[in-house]
Amino acid sequence: MSAKSEFMEAAKNGHILVRTCAECGVEHSSTARFCMKCGSAEMSNRTIPGRGRIATYTIITVPPAGFEEYTPYAFVVMSVDGTSLRVSGFMGGIATPDDLPVGTGARVTGYDGRGLLIEKL
Amino acid sequence: MESVCVLGAGSTRYGKLEDSIVDITVQASVDAIRSAGISPQDVKAGYISNVFGIADKQVHLGPVIMSSLGISDRPSLSIESACGSGSVSFREAYANVAAGFYDCLLVAGTEKVTHTGTEWTTTYFAYCSDFFHEGSAGASFPGLFASMARAYLTEFGATEEDLARVAVKNHENGMLNPKAHLRKRITVDDVMNSAVVASPLKLYDCCPFSDGASAVILCTEEFAKKTGGDYIRVTGSGRGGSPAALQGREHITTIPSTRLAADAAYKMAGIKPKDVDLAEVHDCFTIAEVVDTEDLGFFRKGEGVEAVREGRTALNSEISVNPSGGLKSKGHPIGATGVGQVVEVYDQLTGQAGDRTVKDARIGLTHNFGATGASCAVHIFESV
Repeated sequence: MSAKSEFMEAAKNGHILVRTCAECGVEHSSTARFCMKCGSAEMSNRTIPGRGRIATYTIITVPPAGFEEYTPYAFVVMSVDGTSLRVSGFMGGIATPDDLPVGTGARVTGYDGRGLLIEKL
Repeated sequence: MESVCVLGAGSTRYGKLEDSIVDITVQASVDAIRSAGISPQDVKAGYISNVFGIADKQVHLGPVIMSSLGISDRPSLSIESACGSGSVSFREAYANVAAGFYDCLLVAGTEKVTHTGTEWTTTYFAYCSDFFHEGSAGASFPGLFASMARAYLTEFGATEEDLARVAVKNHENGMLNPKAHLRKRITVDDVMNSAVVASPLKLYDCCPFSDGASAVILCTEEFAKKTGGDYIRVTGSGRGGSPAALQGREHITTIPSTRLAADAAYKMAGIKPKDVDLAEVHDCFTIAEVVDTEDLGFFRKGEGVEAVREGRTALNSEISVNPSGGLKSKGHPIGATGVGQVVEVYDQLTGQAGDRTVKDARIGLTHNFGATGASCAVHIFESV
């Protein structure tokens, strides 16, 4: 199974796949094949609970095709607890910025046609 | 390495155009060739930048354009680097003239999308993101820059009104540009009261979807001198890359490719940011111009909004940023934009910019990137 597939499967269980360089220990997302620091291709995968804080986000009111029925929704970038990684995902039920201050706690709840699903804690 | 010059420039109006993508590209090319005082026969190759030719039923544009110009035997190619296609194409053309492969080239950028409607363009433009991480989760392009804006407002205590001032300033400049898409004076209130597209960005924080084509003639200085026409020198050319997705960047409010490209271009030109008289920067959204002017070294991180508030980026101020009106007002035909910026600098440095002339300008800079700055090119030009 590719790391991307592993990432999607892990997300369905509320987890995040982290790829760690076996040579230098730098952490990467599921799409990295070579280490961005040392260039090594040796990566070890592990899954961790998909919890973190909102690093930034937007509330989309003019959506791309396929997202009309969910509008408005938030596209969020979440800093994952316990790693240096961020992940990006879809968050429903957000109508105004007051609903989601930067720094709000959040967790991964699944993966479907809307990509990585993230909810407020 | 050859000294490389821009010898001529041409551009269609930017906006909603009726003519086909081929017709507008040929028109801009003919205008550039005439501006250079040469004939198509002098053009040894064509560099065409375009993203969504498929929307107007024509990809592989190069040979079609060259055939219209009566030089079908000359090599051509098409380059796609999202919204940065024009500057990336310009860079490759530059490298080929500098290396001595050709003494005279046509660089033309073009886009025709407005006939497809907002949903098509919003959807297809999102394919320029790192789709697995961003587009697949519903991120539109305004949404990605809105995420950058939210991070900037939070980190530096800036306000939405601060961003709005960028739009007001660029519309002010665009009023003086007869080829601009949105020639309309606006106020901060107009921006604040426009419909939210992706919070905190509103409709007037966003550049329009535009049609348009721009072209320049790039040649060796020896060739330029022989023609006797007005030319400017390309003195710096830099490129850089960034993690494709925002999530992978060290700071969400810094675009690494801009810094890399700018550092390389400044070094090559032997100048500092403060030496630049005018800069055409990639203001696809108001937040982008703020981030750009910091990453290009004009202002310290977090101080870009203050500079706009104090009028230091207005026409004929400390540094004239986007005298053309920028993507925001002049318009953003994505494959043409990077070439159109060079057209503006050529017009400025050869005294053809009319009412929006930057007085006593000697050094101009262009900055154009693809997607959220995943790819970038910066060029520096000097008058002769």
